Amino acid sequence: METVTLTIDGKPVTVEKGKSVLEAVIQSGGHVPYYCYHPGLGVDGSCRVCIVKIEKMPKLQTSCSTPCGEGMVVTTNSPEVEAARASVFEFLLVNHPLDCPVCDKGGECPLQDFSYSYGPERSRMAFERRTFDGEGVKADIDFGPTLMLNRNRCILCTRCVRFMKEVDGDAQIGITNRGVHSEISTFEEKGVVSLLSGNLMDVCPVGALTTRDYRFKSRPWDNPNAVDTICTLCEKGCNTTAWIKAKPEWAKGTQLIRTTPRLNEDINSYWMCDIGRFDYHWIEGDRRINQAHMNGNVTSWEDALVSVKDAVDAVGGATHAQFLVSGHASLEELFIIKQFAGNTGGVTFSWRHRVKPQPADTKFKIPAVDAPNLHGAKDLGFNTATSGVANISALQSAVDAGMVKLLYVLDPGPDGTLGDVEWVIAARKAGKIKTLIVQAVLHSALTAAADILLPGCAFVEKDATYTNMTGHVQGAARVITAPGEAVEDWQILSKLSVVFGVNVTYSSSAAVRVAIAQALGANPAYAGLATMTFSRPMSAKSWLQASNPSERWKWDFMFQDLPPIKFGDDFGPTPRANVIPMKEVK
Amino acid sequence: MEPILTKYVKQPGGASLDFYMKVGGYEGLRKSLGMTPDQVVDVVKQSGLRGRGGAGFPTGMKWQFVDKKSPKPKYICCNADESEPGTFKDHVLMERNPHLLFEGCLIACHAIGAKVAYIYIRGEFYHVQQVLERELAKARAAGLVGKNIMGTGFDCDIFVHRGAGAYEAGEETALIESLEGKKAQPRLKPPFPAVAGLYDCPTAVNNVETLCNVPFIITEGAEAFAKLGPEKNGGPKLYCISGHVKNPGVYETSMHTTLRELIYDPKFGGGIRGGHQLKCVIPGGSSVPVLLPEQLDIPASFDGVASAGSMLGSAGLIVMDETTCMVWAAQNLLYFYKHESCGKCTPCREGGDWLHKLLMKIERGDGEMRDLDLLLSVANNIAGKTLCAFGDAAATPVLTTIKTFRAEYEAHIREGRCTLPASWRASHPVLAAH
Amino acid sequence: MSFHPLMEYGAGHHQSARVLPEEGPAFQFTAANLAKLEEICTRYPAERRKSAIIAALYLAQGQQGYITLSAMRAVAAAIRCSTAEVEDIVYFYTMFYTRPMGKHIVMVCRTLSCALAGAERVTETLSKELGLRPGETDANREFSLLEVECLGACDRAPVVGVNDDWHECQQPEAAKALIDGLRAAGAGSLTGCHLKVAGE
Repeated sequence: METVTLTIDGKPVTVEKGKSVLEAVIQSGGHVPYYCYHPGLGVDGSCRVCIVKIEKMPKLQTSCSTPCGEGMVVTTNSPEVEAARASVFEFLLVNHPLDCPVCDKGGECPLQDFSYSYGPERSRMAFERRTFDGEGVKADIDFGPTLMLNRNRCILCTRCVRFMKEVDGDAQIGITNRGVHSEISTFEEKGVVSLLSGNLMDVCPVGALTTRDYRFKSRPWDNPNAVDTICTLCEKGCNTTAWIKAKPEWAKGTQLIRTTPRLNEDINSYWMCDIGRFDYHWIEGDRRINQAHMNGNVTSWEDALVSVKDAVDAVGGATHAQFLVSGHASLEELFIIKQFAGNTGGVTFSWRHRVKPQPADTKFKIPAVDAPNLHGAKDLGFNTATSGVANISALQSAVDAGMVKLLYVLDPGPDGTLGDVEWVIAARKAGKIKTLIVQAVLHSALTAAADILLPGCAFVEKDATYTNMTGHVQGAARVITAPGEAVEDWQILSKLSVVFGVNVTYSSSAAVRVAIAQALGANPAYAGLATMTFSRPMSAKSWLQASNPSERWKWDFMFQDLPPIKFGDDFGPTPRANVIPMKEVK
Repeated sequence: MEPILTKYVKQPGGASLDFYMKVGGYEGLRKSLGMTPDQVVDVVKQSGLRGRGGAGFPTGMKWQFVDKKSPKPKYICCNADESEPGTFKDHVLMERNPHLLFEGCLIACHAIGAKVAYIYIRGEFYHVQQVLERELAKARAAGLVGKNIMGTGFDCDIFVHRGAGAYEAGEETALIESLEGKKAQPRLKPPFPAVAGLYDCPTAVNNVETLCNVPFIITEGAEAFAKLGPEKNGGPKLYCISGHVKNPGVYETSMHTTLRELIYDPKFGGGIRGGHQLKCVIPGGSSVPVLLPEQLDIPASFDGVASAGSMLGSAGLIVMDETTCMVWAAQNLLYFYKHESCGKCTPCREGGDWLHKLLMKIERGDGEMRDLDLLLSVANNIAGKTLCAFGDAAATPVLTTIKTFRAEYEAHIREGRCTLPASWRASHPVLAAH
Repeated sequence: MSFHPLMEYGAGHHQSARVLPEEGPAFQFTAANLAKLEEICTRYPAERRKSAIIAALYLAQGQQGYITLSAMRAVAAAIRCSTAEVEDIVYFYTMFYTRPMGKHIVMVCRTLSCALAGAERVTETLSKELGLRPGETDANREFSLLEVECLGACDRAPVVGVNDDWHECQQPEAAKALIDGLRAAGAGSLTGCHLKVAGE
């Protein structure tokens, strides 16, 4: 790697050649504000707040657009730079409404944070603010199925415009009019219709774009804890962060409050799709299976497990039992099944295949296969027929022929992840299947038809590992506890293993992973599996600083101390090691 | 000095190809095609020709910077988006001497290795576009534009691209954006157009008058061109004189000529009309500082005007007599800048509007004394912080008029009315159109 | 798009106040205009059709007088870009109209040189004569009155543009004559460009 060394505020900094001064500042832990710059988008240079002094250049330069040069001397905090920056902040706030108390972004808003640190003390603008669409609540308008837009808050950084153009591939957002009348718009005010629309909320540095899903539900200080995890709704395996709302037991609402993407350059970059972002309500929804059921009635775990053994015995042994496994089963679960698969009638995989409507030249392709672990199943030696579409015809004809007396369905995923199951329900009703055992998380027509129903855990309720479509082995962490008597799926399978002829005993899911790593030792992708660690709920500041340096600044401000007392009790500047002190700008 | 570029503008039929050929047209092109591109660039460099669009950057250097080793095609973009208030010289050249421009474009293409030149003409110049298209077709038919020009094997085409009403398109990178079918908003530099301009290819953007000077340099030589004017300010120069003079118009002369001569000499502006006195002059289009009557005895050259603390810019002299209220004039110009701001970068977008509001407040008679310092502060905060030079241009009318005519602003504020309500101004403030 | 049942859309509680261009009648380029557009596209590299977007909009505007949503869709299809990109261009450049305009669009230059020569008075006179404020169009769509920025003919100030033609040295007293001339003889009554040379 070719490098260049430059001096930033007196400290030598060495960065990769071609990086901008702003990237060098970020890399070296310096503090320079920015709005139009986003590491995942092209450089625009329009907001002008990242200006710094570079020796030998007559004017102040925007650091986002200036490539690092060998021996460059950069100053980010001289009085000249600070005064210039403050003046740009004054311009940014000339027409920005001060509705932070009711704004969804309040508390995690770069405009708010940086204005405190770098902006002028007060505005000298005495004229009425420019408004679009009206003021207050009226200014919030529909912006497609997932978003709301408040043009008054917009600072025209054009991140959303560039996201749609560069990443989504369908330039739906434009800016109509020009100069001071510029406004973000879509053709016919139709809003953004895209499966990547949620990312626009992430890139928006103010509260102009908010998601319908998260709006008014919580404030940043209400959900100070978050967990690094992954999304398992398709085979892409986007790295995400699950946010947990701190609330008393008796309070209404859910704990899981939102999901945001987390940088992983190999997999999802800075983005995730709307399905992963918004389709989490089922986890804490009313349709969760909280207890074991037998013939539609609640029962105890002991009775349920005994009845599974009885059912297997009744059909003449494990060889008459077939397994129908969803692509949502984790490596741990599959590894246990693998150990007794030889004793049973066989294991068939099923999943949903949905081609997602996306522009042809999108940079973020959402796979059609809605299963996180097909690659893992293949690595474990299962025949998953990875042509994209599940092939369950052999099982179907066996069922039709009455050859399958007992069907065990394992599906820890949300609705529909098993693909079409009507034929299973019909076969059970027709008596072609004698006993239907379902281990799942959501009540559905299939679980209603089940003779024995075992409550498993959703992907955010267990530490489990998955291998995505490109062979990355990743862990989804336990973010919240499972509801009722639901038990981690590997434990259920482990307890039932005796029934299928093998006595599998592991002390923990970690022990299962050690065993998998041993079994798949030849595959380098699984080398880290034995020692894989999982995130635990912790202060968002720590994880985001570590995981996403580009967005680090938010957390410098948001979580500088908890409980959130920002400026001490005298409202004066409180010097802290990693907090930018407030300065009076002359 | 005998006019060179505008010699035949009043000649009936002077714009036609036949006439142009009769007076030695396209000889510069013929001669340049016998030279290597580097030789052409060298001659232009030696001539000291400086860009006539406003910045006065040496044209030869601009051509030399074009990345000739790049495997991509090269382009010449002729900046005919003449929108600077008080400037109308390119208008005359294109309308009355279009073949001179074509010849200049072709030589420039030869010099940088381009096969295509685009003439970006502002949308309002529809009638000029018609002239250009008509004459271009004739030149093409005569084998002067297109394939195998003059039988030398040199292929080069010229196309006219019409804009649609945006002052900002006159900025070279915004012009390129507009040519690419986007909004006329400036790009970040670097990369400079010479490296990645139109369609990300090496590009030189030259003003109409600049290119029109090139044929003369080729035929008569660098020295003949340079010695027409003061050192580093060689060649003929077109001056646009408008405002309160007796004879407004476009005048071609050398840059030895002083500003006073341009305004008062009967050959040029002919003095202030109606027996009035000169109050001040904006010497280079609306974006430069004003000069007072006592500052006019300087050559109207790039360096001469700069030494007086202003800029030659586009050489559009806007002359104002003593009936002109400077608060009103600043307000008029800030409306222009506010209206034409592309809205891309923050200081210009928000600051221009703020300045105009403050000026309107004073103009209406609601001003307060502290508004003057606020005006200066806001204007200074815009200057130097924007993506392109537009921000500086928008700040200049405010900074220069307050600096020079502060007493007038104070009287305005003190009396709560315009102290100079000239008879040629509206009886009521005209309602804003947009 | 119904990937999430909780996000019912289309209830219309939160309406934008932005005034949209008219939908207009179904727009289709005439064969001649389409051919003209294809000819213009050949002036640019094949993969850079977008360069012709302004030309396409001029053709559309020439065809029906102003730009409608329907016309924008046709332009987007012809240029092969998104409709939002077309809308950007229409709104950015001042010479595209999204409202029906009069037969004669009278544009008075209001920038400094013309203003010094009395352009404000010209606007006042025209405004009174036509009964229109700048920016308005009369009911029978005969006249639109606009104020525009510097037209680049400051030596013949004040300049008045009418559609694509110009009328120069327009003193306030003569403004009425301009309107009468337009009513009687249309664009033929205009002085035209200032460098019309005797004998041409």
